[in-house]
Amino acid sequence: MLLVAIHRSVLFALQSFWRNFWLSLATIFIIFLAFVSINFLIFLSAVSDSAINAVKEKIDVSIYFKPDIRESKINEVKSHLETLSQVKEITYHSSAQNLESFTQRHASDAVISDTLKELAGNPLGATLIIKAKELSDYPEILKAVDNPAYNELIEEKNYDDHRVVIDRINSITNNIRRGGLIISLIFVIIAILIVFNTVRIAIFTHQNEISIMKLVGASNWFIRAPFILESIFSGVIACLLAVALVYPVLSFIQPHLANFFDGAAFDLVGYFNQRFLLIFGGQLLGIILLNIIASSLAIGKYLKV
Amino acid sequence: MIHLIKVTKKFEGETVALKEVALHIEPGEFVSIVGQSGSGKTTIIRLLIAEIRPTAGKIIIGGWDITDIKRRQIPILRRQIGVVFQDFKLLPKKTVFENVAFALQVSGSAKSRINKIVPQVLKIVDLEDKTGRYPQNLSGGEKQRVAIARALIHRPKILLADEPTGNLDALNSKDIIDLLLKINDFGTTVVLVTHNKDIVNSLRKRVITLERGVVIQDQKVGKYVL
Repeated sequence: MLLVAIHRSVLFALQSFWRNFWLSLATIFIIFLAFVSINFLIFLSAVSDSAINAVKEKIDVSIYFKPDIRESKINEVKSHLETLSQVKEITYHSSAQNLESFTQRHASDAVISDTLKELAGNPLGATLIIKAKELSDYPEILKAVDNPAYNELIEEKNYDDHRVVIDRINSITNNIRRGGLIISLIFVIIAILIVFNTVRIAIFTHQNEISIMKLVGASNWFIRAPFILESIFSGVIACLLAVALVYPVLSFIQPHLANFFDGAAFDLVGYFNQRFLLIFGGQLLGIILLNIIASSLAIGKYLKV
Repeated sequence: MIHLIKVTKKFEGETVALKEVALHIEPGEFVSIVGQSGSGKTTIIRLLIAEIRPTAGKIIIGGWDITDIKRRQIPILRRQIGVVFQDFKLLPKKTVFENVAFALQVSGSAKSRINKIVPQVLKIVDLEDKTGRYPQNLSGGEKQRVAIARALIHRPKILLADEPTGNLDALNSKDIIDLLLKINDFGTTVVLVTHNKDIVNSLRKRVITLERGVVIQDQKVGKYVL
């Protein structure tokens, strides 16, 4: 009996979906637009996150050691700093490496080249380049570097020069993320309201049929189920269409985005692939729940016959 | 078969649609309920299918007191009473066959039973060659015959017909009334609500006359007196 009722509900839903083709198409189109808007937001969030990370990746703190400090001493400092939870990575540049890169950088500058020749030894010390996990971690790292025991070893730290820039970037990125979240929320609420009303209007057009079904002895669930299933079909089709549109668009945008990121590879398709279930599965689940709630509420109004 | 015991129905604004109506309809009877618009004819039909509840009094159908019927029992009641409306109330996106079959599907009948019974009932109403048509492609008389077929599909003991000829021409009206008489001959109790004087006078059956919610006349072989 239950299986027969389920089978009939599915059959009626498919029948109604097909026989009210234009209404179904309009419903699918609106849900599809909502999906596209949400995926566009996800795309923007991925790109802005990537841009923020790219900027953050370029920020580091360099500690310049005096030329006469031995490598073992510098390794001690490095080892100590590596114990800090805020440190992501420390790179060691020896004085010889520093001299080589300095020479290459200023190869065209005759005055600097002549001056280096005049000097007997290597005037440059070794360097430690520290990257923090988060921008906000730098002050803590610098506090550790400011250890009086290291004062005699260190010639210069460049953090103070970057402090203002880092703070500003930190504030801007936080604001971008916060703003993005608010815009996304507003967008999602608008999408929900539009889909909700679309489902309600679709059911409103069936109000006479619903009352006729009641009059010939259909139970509330026998009437409800096909409408709910029909709205789920619309959601699933709209989701599939959104997937079918999103991937070609992402593939088209990807090379242009690489130019925007100054050649740095940003795998947008990969980003969506890795999170496919989360992004599209989440949206599908959301639309199914939304459709169930919207259609149940809308039908309930016409079942009181 | 049908008992109305001092039934009163008031709508919002204290409009009295029925006032202490007492009726007793025997099994197999053909009863016409007549009266002018607003006399309470349709209110009786709506009460009998539990679309509305009486303000006071009792309604008993086939021994079942439906006065305070529970919501979940309403579909069961409606599957036992056939109803035909003036505006046909057919599902526009279903074919003739599907409209009639729907009444069986709601009660969980097997497909094989549906495929057997629906053509038989459509044959009774002379629509066996129009099973695949949609309501918009049928004439008024044909639509009403589909509605009658749907009402008969459960082989109900009672058939309620609320102004079934209201939207039909004289010829189609006669066909529908002949069909109702045929159904009555099979033993089904028929309650016909109408204000068509000619039809009532030609029937020579029991006539209950309502005026402003009150039964003013109940004749075994009656005439339209208003």
